[in-house]
Amino acid sequence: MSTPSRPTRPIQKFASAVAKCSAEMSAYGRCVVADYNNIHKDKCLEEFLKLRECVRSGRKKRG
Amino acid sequence: MPLLPISRLRGALRGLATATTTTTPNPTYQVFNRRTKRLQRSRSTQNPAHSRATDYLKSEISLRLIDRIQDIQRPFPLILDLGAGACHIARQLPPGISSRLEKLTCVDMSRELLYRDAELEFNDNLPIERVVADEEVPPFAENTFDAVVSSLSMHWINDLPFTLSSINRILKPDAPFIAAMLGGDTLFELRTSLQLAELERRGGVSPRVSPLADVRDIGGLMQRAGFKLLTIDVDDVVVEFPDMFALMADLNSMGEGNAVLAREVGPIGRDVLMAAEGVYRELHGGEEGRLPATFRIIYMIGWKEGENQPKPLPRGSGEIPMKDVLEGGNKG
Repeated sequence: MSTPSRPTRPIQKFASAVAKCSAEMSAYGRCVVADYNNIHKDKCLEEFLKLRECVRSGRKKRG
Repeated sequence: MPLLPISRLRGALRGLATATTTTTPNPTYQVFNRRTKRLQRSRSTQNPAHSRATDYLKSEISLRLIDRIQDIQRPFPLILDLGAGACHIARQLPPGISSRLEKLTCVDMSRELLYRDAELEFNDNLPIERVVADEEVPPFAENTFDAVVSSLSMHWINDLPFTLSSINRILKPDAPFIAAMLGGDTLFELRTSLQLAELERRGGVSPRVSPLADVRDIGGLMQRAGFKLLTIDVDDVVVEFPDMFALMADLNSMGEGNAVLAREVGPIGRDVLMAAEGVYRELHGGEEGRLPATFRIIYMIGWKEGENQPKPLPRGSGEIPMKDVLEGGNKG
């Protein structure tokens, strides 16, 4: 949003890093969706940390 | 940072709880920041290639709207396109309508978007007039137009009753208002995914997708604004995206980013984004990993009251019971 005219937007790099973590993503998604009427903060913290770790390490390698 | 659209019956309640920073006709009804919306539309044209590449939704809906205009067998010399964007309707107008046209007036509050395609070929053969104005308050005299049309713009209007009354006023007697707007369950996949992700990550939610008018609201709104002989129907358009980021990027390029007044300012955090992507995939994802996004389009046609216009018969004046007709039709 703040850099509308740059051809390669940071968000696109982020998106492709996220896309490489499909296993972690679906583990997290399953956890949230499993009981979504009863969601609360950090309900799926463990799965989320794995997802974030994967995204972060993927970004470092690429950079 | 991401999203869309509209409405307003609940505006009265909502307005009290919302900070107001812009000036519009009725300060009670403030859900959207019109200034933000104008800036988003203008920014979306800074990269014209991107902007045009995301015209698919507006082009498609404009075509369907034109279809409905063509169903009406009469010439429309003066047409107003309210919230025209880059004049999508003008670009696709078939000869049947354009040959009998005296002037098509396109109104949008973003000058940049309105003039985005002003150099293109279709302009040469059409009597187009471009007017930069806030479509919430159409700046025209009473009884001016033979038809008013609007495609995918009214979901950003704060005071829908006021704007609809204004439209009724500027129409000539017995002239139609034909519009398509986003409503109801539009982008429910994105809405639910972001809500769940935000709840789980941060323990609360911020409005990321606009409140939208429901089909049930529209009839009442049109009636209150003085329209007669209403026709309202609904159509779902489902677009598939490779991922949630592509959907959000497209919405931004369309100038359809979030402009809800009560929104949390600034982009959505990356933690929430990656979480929401996971939820979107799990909850709504298709078999080939594609993510569907639903756009619910509400079409409405209403006529300004005029002489010799057909009117409903008085209540109780029917002579054939509906029951006979229906049962007779079914059972022979």
